[in-house]
Amino acid sequence: MIERTQALWVIYVSLGVALVTMLLPLPLEWRMLRPDFVALALFYWVLALPHHVGVTTAFGLGLAQDLIEGAPLGISCFGLMVATLVLLFSYQRIRQFDGLQQSLVMLALMGLSSGIEGWLRTSIDLPTLPLTGLLGLAMSMLCWIPTRHVCRQLRRHYGVV
Amino acid sequence: MSTVCFLLLFFFRDDPRVSAVQRGAIDGVALAASLVLAPVDAWDRLGSVFESRSSLQEEVLRLQQENRVLKGQSQRLGSLLAENARYKALLNSARDIGDDLIAAQITSLSPDPARHIVMLDKGVNDGVADGQPVLGAEGLIGQVTSSGNRNSRVVLITDSAHALPVQVNRSGLRAIAEGSGSIDRLIIRHLPATTDIRVGDLLVTSGLGGRFPHGYPVARITEVLILEGDAFATVFAEPSSLLDRGRYVLVVMWGDRQREGAP
Repeated sequence: MIERTQALWVIYVSLGVALVTMLLPLPLEWRMLRPDFVALALFYWVLALPHHVGVTTAFGLGLAQDLIEGAPLGISCFGLMVATLVLLFSYQRIRQFDGLQQSLVMLALMGLSSGIEGWLRTSIDLPTLPLTGLLGLAMSMLCWIPTRHVCRQLRRHYGVV
Repeated sequence: MSTVCFLLLFFFRDDPRVSAVQRGAIDGVALAASLVLAPVDAWDRLGSVFESRSSLQEEVLRLQQENRVLKGQSQRLGSLLAENARYKALLNSARDIGDDLIAAQITSLSPDPARHIVMLDKGVNDGVADGQPVLGAEGLIGQVTSSGNRNSRVVLITDSAHALPVQVNRSGLRAIAEGSGSIDRLIIRHLPATTDIRVGDLLVTSGLGGRFPHGYPVARITEVLILEGDAFATVFAEPSSLLDRGRYVLVVMWGDRQREGAP
């Protein structure tokens, strides 16, 4: 078998593409339905390659997200970092779950990270989402299986290990 | 790393170095957004090529822009007339500030669904600075919060972290209109229940606080809510400009120099 070089760039390119999906235009009142592809892609890579992607990547992604949103720097970092940490502690078990169970785990993780973000926002008097914001979490949950499929194909095609 | 996170959030949020990074990012984000939208724009352009009347279109665009500038300049007339009637004698001392306007275009919305923030295609290079008021076709829509070299971010008056000093055009009553987080509604809280305020009254900027110039229309009262036995009324108003419609806005060049001379 031919030895291939590590294609770690695939990880970062896919995370970059996930960041770009934040920029796709949506009508004002529909923005909360946008699936959080950044978190989903991050969680996939943590689950698949926990020795490459971890808390540091989560921190960097959170910063990038804040820069794109124009929010105070660091506001979405901490939530992503905590969720990543939880995933790092239990990835071996979550890998065994089927699609539905994994989707529910993702829902819980995204709920955790956005809950922490909401708490930080409240602490510095920034507006938080009303309860309808939970719809966005549900949309993200529905997108877990497609995201996992795309990322898995990428990982296998480029042989990222 | 979480320490870095908290330090950034709680101690260095307004640090000049941090805001310099954020300002730098504005142009990058706008560029990325325009790349994402490039296919749509190209399609639009293709359509106009086939019409082969580009010179006429340019003329129309120029006239529309001119019309918008004129509309913006005449917005103050209504309140000035009312003021004139009441304070004829005092008006001699009021200084007339001819505001300069820049026409700009809204390029994108902030992805953060909890905020009402839009991106404009004009920045520091065009004379835009933080705190400058932004007008729509029918009235005030927001203010510039941070500006990059070629793009800037504007927070709309309905954002729930925004509040502005207003005045009822009919009676001269002053109040603070807060954003509600929903695009068609402003809230005025803590007005005494006996206040003379009615549905349909026009709210204009009062000029207090020195952030907005006096006299631009802001909103129209839609509901006055006085609960039995309450000492205070809650008043709801609808912004005069349709904040989620239209792409063209005007930035008022309202610099520090003029603020000092403001009433």
